[in-house]
Amino acid sequence: MQPIISMRNVSKAFGHVQALVDIDLDIYHGEVLGLLGDNGAGKSTLIKILSGVYSADEGEFIYEGKPAKIENPNGAQALGIATVYQDLSLVDTRPVAHNIFLGREPRKWGLILDRRRMEHDAKDLLEQLNINLPSVTVDVEVLSGGQRQAVAVSRAIAQGGDLLLLDEPTAALGVEQTEQVHQLMEDMKARGTAIILITHDLSGILDITDKIAVLRQGRLWAYAKSSSTTQNQIIGWITGALPSQIQEESGLT
Amino acid sequence: MIKSFFRKQDNWTIIGLLVTLFVMVVLFSVLSPYFLSTRNALNIGQAISIRGLMAIGLTIVMISGGLDLSIAAAAAVSGMIAASLINAEVHGTTAGLAALLGAAVLGSINSFVIVKLRINPIIATLGTLLLFRGLAFVVSGGDNVVIGVNTWSILGRGFYMGLPVSLIVYLVVLVLGMIFMRFTILGNYVYAIGGNTVACRNVGIHVDRVRSGTYIFSAMIAGLAGLAIMSQAGTAMPSAMNGAELDIIAAVLLGGIALTGGRGTLFGTFLGTLIIGVINNGLILTGVPVYWQMVVRGLILIAAVALDSFRRGGGYR
Repeated sequence: MQPIISMRNVSKAFGHVQALVDIDLDIYHGEVLGLLGDNGAGKSTLIKILSGVYSADEGEFIYEGKPAKIENPNGAQALGIATVYQDLSLVDTRPVAHNIFLGREPRKWGLILDRRRMEHDAKDLLEQLNINLPSVTVDVEVLSGGQRQAVAVSRAIAQGGDLLLLDEPTAALGVEQTEQVHQLMEDMKARGTAIILITHDLSGILDITDKIAVLRQGRLWAYAKSSSTTQNQIIGWITGALPSQIQEESGLT
Repeated sequence: MIKSFFRKQDNWTIIGLLVTLFVMVVLFSVLSPYFLSTRNALNIGQAISIRGLMAIGLTIVMISGGLDLSIAAAAAVSGMIAASLINAEVHGTTAGLAALLGAAVLGSINSFVIVKLRINPIIATLGTLLLFRGLAFVVSGGDNVVIGVNTWSILGRGFYMGLPVSLIVYLVVLVLGMIFMRFTILGNYVYAIGGNTVACRNVGIHVDRVRSGTYIFSAMIAGLAGLAIMSQAGTAMPSAMNGAELDIIAAVLLGGIALTGGRGTLFGTFLGTLIIGVINNGLILTGVPVYWQMVVRGLILIAAVALDSFRRGGGYR
């Protein structure tokens, strides 16, 4: 089986700080990869490179078997990479529908916003995803944390991505809302979407992911199947108490 | 409970403004027998049209999260360009277009300093305010450029179908602006950028281009206003509209535009402009000394903005 995206030797430095060093990763369709690591390990940098916000200094990407360049957010979206940022990147003063379709609004005659279709499509999408909001015309600022998260995920899904990047999607959520987001991820996975999940929350991480990648000081420290990994191993990798380990059978060649 | 109900409703700003306007109209109607007449209404219309025009450009800049203090100075430069060309026997239309083009260049300077050099818009346009105003004086050697009464006078003094031409121009630009902000993709991006610039960048909106556009548009509208001033006076003055930018900002803030961007409507700005126009007119008709007018305007602005931020449940912290 061919990975949806392969990264080879991806590096990125900010001034003297080497944020990422020679990262190799493969992600497959219908797979949830947990991207773990301590603060400053390089998780966010990697996500931003994949979503086109930063560009890598070195390294190559192979997307669906073809060499690809990710130079800006539009380029990433065009490939099929959709991102939910940690801060959600929502415009609080704008309505739900505008946020879901931000940057890719349906148009009439090229220049005019097709508001009716946008609101209709937004409603449809939320229904499909079993997301319950008071209305698609209310401003995002009046929504609760979980609802805001749902809007952000809906936007990523509306982008039609095959690869979904979720940056701490449940950080601000209660138990029930976290469960909803996990359910949403299950549904996406069943549709063949690949998901990269960044999280600090290790509880249940082995249940919701298929594979685990641990970054440490900008390097890929560990890469393993979730089913053959324990919670303690993950903690050991993150803290560096356990030596680096890239499992052969995890698919990385 | 009450707070959360009020918070969401931007419409309350409009309702508040309409009530304020109504109260002012009733008050001045009682105080002065001349206030409530068609003639006086047209006077008010003509009086607000020039500042109103500039308020349109400023509103769009402010909704995108920026600020433009250089509008009045840009208007003076534009009037100066047109008057100089007219006196050099350049065709009137060509002179007008050249003045608007000149204003666009001034707007490009603003956008370069703010968007490319990333200077805070308050500081940047305070600088260009001085720069543009200085240019207007340098070009004219400090003198007024008199063009006298000619075909140009129509814009500032003429009437069409009983309405002042400058008022018609203002209302047309206002309606076009409202359509632009409400219905076009670009207008929606102006709101979105003012609400969360980073989010817009993340989804690939050309934030810098849109922001540059707002400053160029603002300067061009100010240029148009500058032509109207020149036409009205029959003279281009380097000191034209000196200090007017603060009045215009007051009208825009009164109309419910947030300094933080992302909020407000051109209709709100229109009402803010109209209220200040009504108050100025009413104070003159009721014989209030001119210096007191400034005091009253200041008080009304503070009261209106305080009320608005209180209602939003926030305010300055």
